[in-house]
Formats: sequence, structure tokens, C-alpha cells
Amino acid sequence: MDYIREKTPPVREDRLGACQAFGGSCCDLASQSKKGCLYNNNRTFSQSQGCQLTLSLAILNTIRDSVIVVHSPIGCGAGMVAQAGTAKDWQKLRDPNAFGLRWINTNLDELDVVNGGEEKLRSAILYADREYRPSAIIVMNSCVPALIGDDIDAVIEDLQKQVSARIVPVHCEGFKTKIQATAYDAVYHGVLRHLVGVELYEGPELIIPDELEELKEKYRISHTVNLLNVSSMSRIDEQELVKLLKSLDLNVRILPCYAHPDDFADSFEAALNVSICATHDDYFSEHMKTKYGIPFILETVPIGIANTSKWLLDIAKFFGIEERAQKLIASEVRELDAALAPYREFLTGKTALLGGGEIRILTTAELLHSLGMEVLGLRGFHFDRYGESLLEQLLEDVPASERAIINIGAGQPFEQANLLAKLKPDVFVGHPGGNGWANKQGIPVFPLFGQTYNYMGYLGAFEVARRLTRLLKNTSYSRNVSRHVGLPYRKDWYDQDPFSYIDQGAADQGVAL
Amino acid sequence: MSKFVERPKYVCALGGAVGTLKVLPRTVPVLHAATGCGGNVALALNQAAGYLGSGYCAGQALSSTNTSEREIVFGGEDRLTEQIANTIKLVDGDLYFVITGCMVEMIGDDIRNSIKKFDSGDVQVIGAETGGFHGNYYKGYEIVLKTLFRDFVEPKAARDSKLVNLWGVVPIQDVFWKGNIALIKDLLNKLGYQVNTFFGDGETLDSLKNSAAATLNIVVSDTFGVEAAQVFEEVHGVPYLTVPFPIGDHGTTSFLRKVGSALGIANPFVEKVIEREQAHYYSYFERLADVYSDLDLQRYTVVVGDSNYTQALTRFLADDLGWLPELVVISDFLTDEQQDTVRSNFTGYESGILPELVFDTDASNVGKYIARHWGQSSGQKYFSGFNPGFIVGSAIERDVAEKLGVPQLTVTYPMSNRVVLDRGYAGYTGALRLTEDLLSVLVGSR
Ligand code: SF4
Repeated sequence: MDYIREKTPPVREDRLGACQAFGGSCCDLASQSKKGCLYNNNRTFSQSQGCQLTLSLAILNTIRDSVIVVHSPIGCGAGMVAQAGTAKDWQKLRDPNAFGLRWINTNLDELDVVNGGEEKLRSAILYADREYRPSAIIVMNSCVPALIGDDIDAVIEDLQKQVSARIVPVHCEGFKTKIQATAYDAVYHGVLRHLVGVELYEGPELIIPDELEELKEKYRISHTVNLLNVSSMSRIDEQELVKLLKSLDLNVRILPCYAHPDDFADSFEAALNVSICATHDDYFSEHMKTKYGIPFILETVPIGIANTSKWLLDIAKFFGIEERAQKLIASEVRELDAALAPYREFLTGKTALLGGGEIRILTTAELLHSLGMEVLGLRGFHFDRYGESLLEQLLEDVPASERAIINIGAGQPFEQANLLAKLKPDVFVGHPGGNGWANKQGIPVFPLFGQTYNYMGYLGAFEVARRLTRLLKNTSYSRNVSRHVGLPYRKDWYDQDPFSYIDQGAADQGVAL
Repeated sequence: MSKFVERPKYVCALGGAVGTLKVLPRTVPVLHAATGCGGNVALALNQAAGYLGSGYCAGQALSSTNTSEREIVFGGEDRLTEQIANTIKLVDGDLYFVITGCMVEMIGDDIRNSIKKFDSGDVQVIGAETGGFHGNYYKGYEIVLKTLFRDFVEPKAARDSKLVNLWGVVPIQDVFWKGNIALIKDLLNKLGYQVNTFFGDGETLDSLKNSAAATLNIVVSDTFGVEAAQVFEEVHGVPYLTVPFPIGDHGTTSFLRKVGSALGIANPFVEKVIEREQAHYYSYFERLADVYSDLDLQRYTVVVGDSNYTQALTRFLADDLGWLPELVVISDFLTDEQQDTVRSNFTGYESGILPELVFDTDASNVGKYIARHWGQSSGQKYFSGFNPGFIVGSAIERDVAEKLGVPQLTVTYPMSNRVVLDRGYAGYTGALRLTEDLLSVLVGSR
């Protein structure tokens, strides 16, 4: 893969043929996805979703010692007001002196739409540098400047000469794609072009070459992995994964979330890139391979016992230490199984519907199954080849899962409401941000992720079991709310096919690009 | 020419439109915008406004065309028509209000071409251009109100002399809007008037539809909703009164006198109401008499926020509570003329306090103004600085409060560190809530 010579990355509709609208059974999706006919599906009624820009912030919000300049009208990226508090706390978990989230909006108005906004961008970047002296200034481009033709790269190139911070452009204009996850490519594109690389990293200075030191250094690199974290995980998740990798005697460098801009400079000095989510990292991993020859592991998320073990084994295989890993896994699993026994007893037979990112829901489904629960359906934000292989795995691992309903779309709580009304699961496992709707239907909600809780690794499997059990011990809140408020949809909606507003025929019409 | 904003305390006009419409009863906003605009504002509205929630049909449920580059080759009007039709089919509402994001306006879509196809339907569809580049949240509030007044409020020949409309408490941007509206309504009820509040408890769309029967539009702001009130007057002939948002005895007493005189209510009656309210207010306020002095609860104060809140808070702190709110930073976008009007609300304090007033949109500058106003210690033995200090502002001011080591209470947007349901700070009763909250911060570690 080599897109980084371009100023902007491709969108995922084009790069991965990702699908954003589908409804049917898991079996249908698996077969249609193989035929590659899902790419143009659309909705004739849709509900709001996020864009590349809003999701880019999930990573960018976390980068320490940087300032974010959102080049847009005053609203884009406004969600930062809700995240500033936690961003600061969580940055401090990595560096007690971290400042937290600092951002500037260029506030494009009616005049700028006519005259262009480059001057405002220029002044914002200069202000950011002067006011904060950060290590990096991250410039996010939005719809309006893209439409008026602002050349942000030219502005940045020019200013880089007078500004000491690294200026990193992120091309994340919302209107370019419906696949929000394109955001990750946009962020990594900027990171790869402007933060990763030899030209930034000077390496340990050796005045007289010391062969022993050099050998030691080589050895260290050959046992170093980049653990590519995601902003939806917690520090506790990170610690659990680091603990597992360390017990295989590996050095771990954590990127990109909560990293310092300088941490990227020598990130090519690693033996392996270890992703924990393909949706998040395929663009970065592939490019690190093309540019620096670093192989990667991208298959699965270490969520649930089976996937954590698989993740560890894949890594161990690379380093030729499978046997050690097998031993570690065996002892971890033995201990965990014993701890899970009372929870399995409680959870067995309980039913669930899950919603969120494709990788996360498919692995979480496996976890729930392993706890004795039955997965009635899945709702994924989008679907692409990485989901395809995990879905196949799920179909193999979980008996009767081919009958489970699968619905693809970001948000779209109207489809969710219809599904919940029909399937009546004991619990909805949902992506934070839209879980109120299920509560209002009287269905208790377990958040799919949370940045203060543990979900990953063996410890995470235990925590999920424990917290699910806690949730189901008292479901009064959702029950009470559902008795007194309703959802906005007309009654007859619940009698209709939940996928009535998905136009799967769009594929035949050939939408113009 | 406007400039960039460092850590803005508002979303865009589109966000203001969504926010205003999501809390209007039985109203369904239909967004014609790029893919992410709906989700973008949802986060800012739901999680930075006291955990407001998604509302009836907003948040992720907000109807939205999610227009992306691949669809705009042919313009987005057909897609919008389809979206409106299907929203009506699927979502139960009485009024469907189309709003736009920047991108569809820039590619030249005319929402009216889609809206007019629904002219003869059972439900009403109206709309307005609300793209983010038109301004901030307040602008969106203003645009929505104007559109409602022109296209939804029915003309009325007769006036109801005992009915008034209440505007200017901007939903969501004023995180306590629900409580504040109820408190102000209660005061107006005590003056003998019925009040249409539109966004308050127990309201219906009918009260909005019939609001041209009111005898006066009371705009509880010198900046927000004023343009809309002018439109109301133009279209429906109902005059308006602008009056500062009131918190506490001094602010509210002057509020009641102003409203009373505009409505032609006999003075003694208004004074009677004031007297009764004051008696109740001070019967609680007096409880602090011991602790106020024993713990020395007087503070130098910085007030940061919008032009509605800052003037109300400052007057309350200075004239009711006896604090020293010597510095006020107002973060609104205001014209020079508006700044002058706003400035006039910070004078004539009974306490004699004359706060330094700064108009600045950039959050980092608050610390600099504090240093300028109170000076910075350079280790000298005798020094009078911002101590004992207190910051009343938004969650963003926590940074500067932390840096200076002073307590802070979040009262203005954004508010990610408090949960707000029906709490309000307006009027006499609201000021008691505010006093509880302010002083609880000070005794919190005891
Ligand atoms: S879709 Fe465009 S205008 Fe809307 S929030 Fe995203 S970047 Fe901003």
C-alpha cells in the first residue's frame, strides 16, 4: 500500500469497498460480501452519524503536548467541549504534567466562504505556536475550506519554516465519505507524512561506535513491538495487554493514542506492528510495511478468551516462541475459567443484541457466547474485508450464528428500535453515544467499550462477565423509563421489516462518482 | 472581520438550530447536511450541557440526509425530498423543520424546492438555512425563531391582554434553561399574566401557533432573541420588551419593575409581589449569617460566560451576596452596538462594585486578565492578589482555576462536569439554588 505520497488519503468506499447499509442474516452478509455487491447500498431514510472529522478527534484529542486547529466554521469538532475534562485526566495517566486538550477553531464565516479562509488558518497556527509552544500543531481540514478551495498544505508548508512545532495536516473533510472510519486513515496519513521518520529521529548519539552497544540496540529493536492502541480502550486495557506481551519478553511501544508527537519519530525501529483493531490500523500497518519493511499483525482484537489467545499466539508465532505463549495461555485460561464459573452460571441463556464497530462487535459476540449467552443479532457501523474474515470465524465458532440478524449502518437507531422490539434481548451491548434509545425501550444497556473500564485480555473477559452480571441484577432504571416515555417512531414502524429503508438496489444503478 | 476562536464556548448556527428544535414539543428537525454534522453537534449538545440526552428525535435519531460527495454531482434536493417524505412516514410529529449544513448551501441546494412538495400534506413542513458559517449557536436560535414567527405562528386579530410570550432564555446554551423558564414564568404568573414559554414544561405547539394573541413579547436578554422579536413585531404587530436576565433580589426586583411598567401594572401591586418574594428569599438567605462571617465566605470573583449570564451573575454576586466580582469576561460574538448595550448592564450597582469588563472569545486569555487585574506575585512579602478567589464560568475555566488554585463552579456552557435536570438559577428562588451551589464548593472539603 502506498498512498502517502499523495496529500490526501483515499476514502474507504474506494480503498476497501466498505459497505454502510445492509440488513439480513449473518449468512446472507457473508455470501453477499464475497460477491462484492454491498458497496453502493444506501438508505432512503437516514439518521445522523458522525463524520471523518469527528472520529479523527478520537485519536487526535489524545495526543499530548499538541494543539488542534480545526479549520472550519465554529461548529466542527465542537464535541471537544465534552471531552476536554476526560482527555486531560487520561493524558495525565501517561504523563502527570500533560496539559490536556487545547484547540482552536478558525471560525469561518459568511465572508470567508466568499474570500477564502487561509488567512485565518495562518493566524490560528501562529497563535497556537506562540501561546502554547507545543510539540505539534495538528490542522484538521473540514468541508467548508475544501469546498472554497483553501490550500491548507501550502499554508502549512509556508508556516513550517517559521514555527517550531511540527505542523501536521489531517484531511478529514466530512462530506468526502460515509464510512466514518476513513478518519483513521486521515489521521495516520498525517502522522506518517509528518511525524514518523528518520528525518526526525536522530537516534542515540554514538561518538565512538561501540559494537556491543550496537548489538544490544539491534536486539532491543528485534524484540520491540508497536502496540497500536485505540481511543476506545482504557489505560487498564493497555496495562493488561502490556503485561501479556512483557511476559513473552517483548518491549512495548504504545502508539498512537495518548502518545507524545515525538514518540512517532523512531516508531519504525520495531520488529512488529501489533494492531488490536483492523478498522483502526490497516492503513498505518500496511504503510509501515511498505515504507520500513515492518510486518504486522492485524487479524483480531484481544477481546474474549479465544481472541486474546489467538492474538497472543499470532504474535508469538512471529517471534518463534509459540510454546512459551501456549504455556502462558494455558495458565491464564485455567485461572480465568475458574474465576468465571459463577458468572457463567448466571449469564447462561441470556440473550443479547450488539451494536458498534465491526471488529469489536464480532469479537465481543464470541466473548458473550463463551459466557453462555446467545447472540440474537449484530449491528455494525460498516462492513469490509476485515469484518468478513472475523464473521467467518464467528460462523465457525458459534453454532447457529448464521441465523443471527446482522444490520450494517452507523447509528440508525430506528432500525435498532425495530430490531429490539422484535428480538427482545435481555441486554443490548451498544456503542456509547446512542444507548439511551435502548434504555427507553426498557432494555438494559451494556456499553460496548468504556475508557475507564477493562474489556481486553483475560482480565477484560472477567470484568465484562462481572459487569454484565451486575447490570442484569437490577434493571429498574430502563424499565421505569420505558414505562413513561416512548420513542418517536410511529406504531406501524414496528410491524414493518427493519430494513425497509435500505436500498440494496443502488448497487445496480451505478452511482456516479 | 471575525477571527479564530480558542476553545469556543458554543457550537455553530446549525447546532443552535438543532438545539432549539429538539426541545420544541412535537417538532421533528430534518437535517440536510453533510454526513457528520448531526453527530458532531449531538456530542456537544448532549454531553456538554449537563447531560441533556438525545431528546425526542435528535442525537443519533436526528433525521439527516447524510449527504456525501458522491451524491452531490446532481445536487441534493431529490434526496432531501425523499428524506422529508420518509421522516413524515416514520416519525410521529406535528411540525417538520428542515435545517441545512454548510455544504448543501454551498453547492446551491434550495430546500424550498423540496419543502413546497409537502404544502398540501397533513403535517406542516417549514425550513431555514442554518449552515455553520452563518454564526454560532445563538444565531441558529435566532434563525429558527424568525422562521417560526414568519411561517408557523398564525396571524391573530384579537389580543389577549393577560397573555405574554417569553423569549431570550436560549435552550441548551443556557444549560439551566428549563428551570430558568419555569422560574421566570412563575414570577410573571404572580404579576397576573399567563405565559407562553414554548420550551418550558407543559407547553404545546399550539401555544406557539397562537402566540400572536399575546400582548407583549418579553425577551429576557439584550442580545439573544432580539432580532427574532423584531420580526415578530413586524409580522404580527406584537411589541417587545428586552430586559436583562434576572438572578437574585437586585436583578429580579428590577426585572419585575421593568416588566410591570411595560405591561402597565399598578405600582403598588408590583411592589407587593416584590415584597412577598423578598421576604421568602431573605428568610433563607439569613441562615448564612453565622457561617458567612465565621468561615469568611466572601470572595474575589471572576465571571466568565455569555452576555445573559455574566450580567445576572455579577449583579447577584456583587449586590446580593456581597462578593467582589471585579472581572468579567464575555465570550459572545457581539457587534459594537451590542457591546455597548451589554456594558450598560454592568453599571449602577448598589454595592458600588464596578467590574472590569472584557469581551474576548479566547479561553486562555482569562488567566491573563486575572493576572492583569489582580497582579502576579513575585514572591514579595506583602501582596494582595486574586486571593481568596473564585471563578464562576464554564467547565473550560477549570484549567485556569486549577492553575491558580482557586475554587470554581460551572454555571455557563460548556458544562461537562455537572448533571442538570430541572435546576434553575433565575429569579429569587433560583438565586437560592445558586447560593447553595457556590457555597457548597467552599465547604465541600469540610
Ligand atoms: S460533515 Fe463537514 S461540516 Fe459537518 S461536522 Fe463534519 S467536517 Fe464539519
